[in-house]
Amino acid sequence: MTPDRLMDLLVKRASEGVTAQEQAEIDRLSASHKSAGLESFERAAAALTLAGIDEEPMPANVRARLDKTAAEFVASGELAKVGRDGASGASSLSDELAVRRERKQERTPFRASRLAWFAAAASLLIAIAGWWPRLRDGLQPPQVVETPPKVEDPAPKVEPTLAEQRELLLASTQGLVQGNWAPPGDPATNPVAGDIVWDPKTQQGYVRFTGLKSNDPTQYQYQLWIFDAEQDERYPIDGGVFDIPTREGEVIVKFDPAIGVKSPVMFAVTAEKPGGVVVSSREQIVALAKVAAG
Amino acid sequence: MAESLLNRIAGGDARAVSECIEHFSGLVWSLARRLTRTRADAEDAVQEIFTDIWRSAARFDPAQGSEKVFVMTIARRRLIDRLRRASNEPRMESVEVLDQLPWSDATSRAEVCVEAERAAQAVARLRPDQQQVLNLGILHGLTHSEIAARTGMPLGTVKTYMRRGLIQVREWLEVSAGDVTEGAQP
Repeated sequence: MTPDRLMDLLVKRASEGVTAQEQAEIDRLSASHKSAGLESFERAAAALTLAGIDEEPMPANVRARLDKTAAEFVASGELAKVGRDGASGASSLSDELAVRRERKQERTPFRASRLAWFAAAASLLIAIAGWWPRLRDGLQPPQVVETPPKVEDPAPKVEPTLAEQRELLLASTQGLVQGNWAPPGDPATNPVAGDIVWDPKTQQGYVRFTGLKSNDPTQYQYQLWIFDAEQDERYPIDGGVFDIPTREGEVIVKFDPAIGVKSPVMFAVTAEKPGGVVVSSREQIVALAKVAAG
Repeated sequence: MAESLLNRIAGGDARAVSECIEHFSGLVWSLARRLTRTRADAEDAVQEIFTDIWRSAARFDPAQGSEKVFVMTIARRRLIDRLRRASNEPRMESVEVLDQLPWSDATSRAEVCVEAERAAQAVARLRPDQQQVLNLGILHGLTHSEIAARTGMPLGTVKTYMRRGLIQVREWLEVSAGDVTEGAQP
């Protein structure tokens, strides 16, 4: 075998793909020739593709599905592994292909969860019909509070409490999005109250509750959802799970969603299984707060 | 200089994952539509492509090319893989679409990157029949045999044109091929 054969294989891989046997041959030849630039033909093909393709926007439904995939990627801990895996190997295509083969098996439960997600999404289509219009009608009108900057900023503290962090945000930031929590049903049976403040610039916010029933985290947890006007309303953004401890009084939770929030219109809290869910069945909505984009 | 999106993903920045979608969704979607048989295929493919991109982010080396080229390289691998697995299914594109030579106006595209401009310049130096081979193979995902059948060229000629074309583009991109040297001159 000569480098010419390796060249043929690399061109074939860049243009029409190679079989597993051919890839093994590339691995063998490239190892014996200590070759560099094994992906140069693929990069050439990619550059040609860029030169010849007309870009069209991704449809909203595909984008929404991709955002969920991204959220799963982050939540599953795969993102945290990217740097580690990259640093420890996978620097060549053959390494990457090997990694990809190994990951096919890892991906099975991921796909299974996606199947479950789609099943849930199907039922969600039914549920949303009765849920969403009711929310639009029943909640307080949206309000965007333009908070003027404070002349005297509070002195920074070493470890501010969540309440102090929230107050600092309110005092120092303009264009915050705010809203008030309300129960979806009878306030007599679910006297939840409180508010939400969201900073579109830092993509962080705080939710404050009173009257929300304490939970046993081994039985269920509360999960925050963010409805974004620029996303399919069937798939709100996951704001994370939290617990309400067994004590009276106000509870503040800071949240920092993994997916970018552009135009939030409503926040919701549901009760879910421990650890939360990818898509809520929305059977136990405990609090709602309608807001407007800041 | 701002840190690249892919480097941020490699560093565990969750927001960069979302920004990556924002930045490259149009490109990846457009390529997926072109190199898949059905819209449903394209929708599935983009999920896999972006997952591949995120997983491969640590491999991105700015010295080897731009993020766009890296993303398109990953996207092409995945799409070619899917095409070959579904190779018995019929194609959706018409002959007229396949015969267009789309690189002639590449330099006038607003979002084109330096590598794309250079690739277009390299292709412009090839003969029309060589350009056609690259068009059918690279932009439309036809195999060498399919190109031969469609154009009437001998298979060996198709392979030669593909090889020479990619070598020429690679040279214009000034991409080092290390000690993988070309035996036959174009």
